Amino acid sequence: MSISKRSCLFGLVFLILAVSGPASADVGPTYAIKNAKIVPVTGPAIDKGVLIIRNGLIEAIGPVDKVTIPEDAEVIEAEGLIAYPGLISAHTNLLLEAPRAETSQGSPEFIAPAAAPQDRPSETPELCAFKLLKPTKAAIDSFLKIGVTTVLVAPNRGIIQGQSVLLNLNGEKAEPMVLKNPVALHINFTSARGTYPSSLMGTIAFLRQSFLDADYYAACQAQYQKVLKGMKRPEYDPFLEALVPYVKEKKPVIFQCNNLEDIKRALKIIDEFKLNALISHANEAWRDAAVLKKTPIPLLVTLDFRPPNSSRYVNQGEDLRKKAEAEIYPANAANLAKEGIKFALTTFGLNDGAAVLKNIQAAIKAGLSKEEALKALTIQPAQYLGLVQQLGSLEPGKIANVILTKGELFDEKTRVDKVFVDGVLWKF
Amino acid sequence: MNKTITNLLTSAIVLALIAPPAFSAEGSILIKNGTILTVTKGVMVKGDILVINGVIKQIGENIPAPEGIKVIDASGKYVIPGLIDSHTHIALAGTNEGSEAITPEADVGEVVNADDVSILTALSGGVTMVHTMHGSSNPIGGPNVVLKMKWGKPSEELIVHEALRTLKFALGENVKQSSRTITVGGPPPRYPQTRMGTNAIIRREMLKARVYMEEWDRYNKLKASKTPPKNLLPPRKDLRMEVLSDLLRGKIVARCHDYQATEALEFMGLAKEFGFKVQALEHTWEAYKIADELAAAKVGISVFADSWAYKMEAAEGIAYDAGYCAKKGVLVSINSDSGERIRRLFNEAGKSMKYGGLTENEALSLITINPAIQLGVEKIVGSLEVGKQGDIAIFNEHPMSAYTRCEMTIIEGDIYFDRAEYLKDREEADKKAQAPKKGGRP
Repeated sequence: MSISKRSCLFGLVFLILAVSGPASADVGPTYAIKNAKIVPVTGPAIDKGVLIIRNGLIEAIGPVDKVTIPEDAEVIEAEGLIAYPGLISAHTNLLLEAPRAETSQGSPEFIAPAAAPQDRPSETPELCAFKLLKPTKAAIDSFLKIGVTTVLVAPNRGIIQGQSVLLNLNGEKAEPMVLKNPVALHINFTSARGTYPSSLMGTIAFLRQSFLDADYYAACQAQYQKVLKGMKRPEYDPFLEALVPYVKEKKPVIFQCNNLEDIKRALKIIDEFKLNALISHANEAWRDAAVLKKTPIPLLVTLDFRPPNSSRYVNQGEDLRKKAEAEIYPANAANLAKEGIKFALTTFGLNDGAAVLKNIQAAIKAGLSKEEALKALTIQPAQYLGLVQQLGSLEPGKIANVILTKGELFDEKTRVDKVFVDGVLWKF
Repeated sequence: MNKTITNLLTSAIVLALIAPPAFSAEGSILIKNGTILTVTKGVMVKGDILVINGVIKQIGENIPAPEGIKVIDASGKYVIPGLIDSHTHIALAGTNEGSEAITPEADVGEVVNADDVSILTALSGGVTMVHTMHGSSNPIGGPNVVLKMKWGKPSEELIVHEALRTLKFALGENVKQSSRTITVGGPPPRYPQTRMGTNAIIRREMLKARVYMEEWDRYNKLKASKTPPKNLLPPRKDLRMEVLSDLLRGKIVARCHDYQATEALEFMGLAKEFGFKVQALEHTWEAYKIADELAAAKVGISVFADSWAYKMEAAEGIAYDAGYCAKKGVLVSINSDSGERIRRLFNEAGKSMKYGGLTENEALSLITINPAIQLGVEKIVGSLEVGKQGDIAIFNEHPMSAYTRCEMTIIEGDIYFDRAEYLKDREEADKKAQAPKKGGRP
């Protein structure tokens, strides 16, 4: 092959890359990461190892003298670096379109009041976060820089907020990023002014009524499908239609629980309707470990340490609130670990990677071991989200989300040197 | 085999007889040498109360202290039942589901907030139990909940499950939104806007509940028949109607916020028409005008002492309301309706001695046994009697004196408020706050 031909080909490749974006989920080159310390999470660390990435997947892992490096592989000399699986944040509101602008009068749009609990003027279980995605390089960079390669993105408005999508942060185009869609139905114990429900107790009643209605809707539809003839057809209802898979078919429901009481409220409803649920936010989980020890419901614990407004640490002056945020709430994860309660850590409420890292370090300082922190950001969320075959550890056959760090992950002076998402080396 | 069991049983009985009465340190206390105001069984000038495992075991003179029990010296002090507030809104995350007029599905029992510092305020005034209620924004508000003021305990441990289930109704100015300014382009005014509308909407909902119950009865009958029809589906379960059905079945009783005599009588008329029970009317400044009717219908009242005329519909309130009605045979309680007045409920009750001429014990009844009866918990609290729960307050003076204050509040044998301890803690905190920080500037 002549030089001119080669540069022509290179130009073509460059052109394709430029058109489709530098880091789409397209198959990247084959990489051999050599001489790195490898921390697979699910198995013992390899002091000097090789990790082969091909077709976006991990092809092989092993000690340097046991794995042959393929001829076509681009060798990355990683002496002095440590390889970890990409981190997973199992609940975020990242990469979503900015909320709708306020009306010209400067006041939010007036929502017509509902007439009954079955009216739902502002509830959107059918809404998919996927449709709201607006990825930007800055937002993705911010998380990849700290090693987070996979995020669950959930809609963030209303009580029954809609359905989340799971993304590999591999570029600025939405479709190639999707690992799974939809993933879960998201619920928040909130209320709106001026429309039903306007109070927390109304919200709880509204949720119960919605789940009861979904159950009833499914029963009526099923009966109708059985006979078709001789029965008046039940009226189509997109709200209930969207709820049925979660209420009847036990697809996962994620409850955002901003304080201890919300956790108990969620557990009550989960038990009542036998939902396949997860509890998110949960930064007051530490306040009643006994309640959480009794339940198998997975916890997605946020790294956001701001105490909720209902907290007794907020109502008694600014000094106590600051102390709570700096000292008490960061110990949430450590306290849960001490009680033997399993959990995943999430970045929920934090949109800046640097802040996330700072808070991971604070949680570790408060007593969480580095190993536990790593598991809570890799294999644990992978298990909870049903991804254990694809993600959460470094194993042959799994998706090649790999990070290379200089120094141990989460240490103050450590920085993430290289990030591979879907086997493609990310360029910051 | 049988012999062994018999032997084991015998030895167990013998052991039980020999061993001292078993009790846990928690929930057990002996209060000595106080003046005991039992409320229902008279006064004991120098007496002891023994609480074992949360329950009053013995009231008498010179009760020997079981080994290891906590002993409180109440010499010169007054020992009374823990006070009960029949109407308040503390310890909740939200009070009103005000977006609609009819919200019986919105249950305050679902939003108990054990972190509310008002619980501590209540304890400092000797209050051990409250009926914390849905607000008065709606003709039919929602179910209320009865709580014990166990400060520091998780919310579920506060709830008193033995209490009657109650549903909040409201009439008058709050419901018809008299104080609301209607703005152009803002939300339209909510129905009802008048007292007649309020009566009509409650009747409408009761009729709806009747139809709902009939639908379910019809379905259950068909389902149970030998040849149920093809494609039989149950009616839709409606949480709103479920609560109203329970009211009409007598499983829930009504507590109704009102001020004027006319609306009170109208509401009692509705209750008679639909066969539901009005346990008590709330505030009811004009109860004195209809005391005979209230007594005849066995409808209680839960009222303020002397703070009338703060709005038009309260204009004809009088300080004699509570005392006069009590003498007419109405079951009266004095309530706080507030997280502040709750710490001086005893002062409020005491006013009925000046206005209305109640005796000390009758006045004390307004915040002990009477509210206990209104809440359906008179078998477990409301007076000091053997077998009742050990909810006790200790006052330095007679609780109906203007100079009294609560020294200690005990719930089920555990101390939840101790003024001396509390003041000591506060003093230390103050000292700490004033002390120059280490390394800082003086």
